[in-house]
Amino acid sequence: MKIILRLALLAAVIAAGVWLWTILFPSPEKAVRRQLSELARDASFSGNQSSLAVIAGAQRLANFFSTNVEVNLDVPGRIQHTLTGRDEIMQADAGARASLDGLKVEFPDVNVTVAPDKQSATADLTVKAQAGGDRDSIWQEMKFTLQKTGGKWLITRVETVRTLT
Amino acid sequence: MTLVRIVVWVVACVIVFKVVLLRVEVDGISMLPTYKNHSKNWINRLAYFRHEPRRGDVVAIRLAGIHAMLLKRIIGLPGETVAFADGRVLINGKILNEPYEKFPCDWDRAPVKLGDTQYFVVGDNRTMPQQDHTFGECERNRIIGKVLLSR
Repeated sequence: MKIILRLALLAAVIAAGVWLWTILFPSPEKAVRRQLSELARDASFSGNQSSLAVIAGAQRLANFFSTNVEVNLDVPGRIQHTLTGRDEIMQADAGARASLDGLKVEFPDVNVTVAPDKQSATADLTVKAQAGGDRDSIWQEMKFTLQKTGGKWLITRVETVRTLT
Repeated sequence: MTLVRIVVWVVACVIVFKVVLLRVEVDGISMLPTYKNHSKNWINRLAYFRHEPRRGDVVAIRLAGIHAMLLKRIIGLPGETVAFADGRVLINGKILNEPYEKFPCDWDRAPVKLGDTQYFVVGDNRTMPQQDHTFGECERNRIIGKVLLSR
């Protein structure tokens, strides 16, 4: 009986260790997914933000991107814009926060492919964005390219994917 | 015996409602008047198990996954040339009869030849501006299934 208890305890300790290991050292795919999840959260905002909150939010969002990031947005009938570098992203985000009455961003489908060297990854995902006051959402397929820099996954390129050509 | 029946029913329901059928809610006006905004429907994922998609079918087209899809009608089949002229659809130069189109439109689009794995899809609401309407060529592997409750 004592041996069984000890074995059960050992198994529990090993399981806890494995679980802790995956939390502390997530696989690249998990890390990318987590990063994108945080991006969606930080890209969302409520309306009537103070100037300080606008700047802080834009700064927080810019930190997800590399300094030389390139963002190509091409949603027919909605938006056609190219942003280069963190500063332009910050400015665009601050502008959106100041002019929109809130924004809710979600990534309902995310497919992550990590390169063999585990230093870069691409994420094909669906973006759902709903501006405050709007009844309908914008759905758009996008491709994110990420690079591992200083232990953190930074977005180096964002491009829209045309579901229909 | 009753327990076995319950288990069989539960398994069957899970397979049908989680694997075969996908519940969808229409978000947008591009399929008006056939499918209204925020209306509910089901997608049959086995519809094209035995045959390929056909002209006139309303299909679900996946984006990056199946949590968000486009709902469109197939008007062009692989290998065909599709064009819009004065709001009429031309397939290989001939006008396509579209009984589901209730209102006139003025769309124009240059002819496009579809590849071997491409279908031409478009929404039924062609009263909306052409530039605001998502339509065009769709790869076969993006077509998830057919709308179950067709009109």
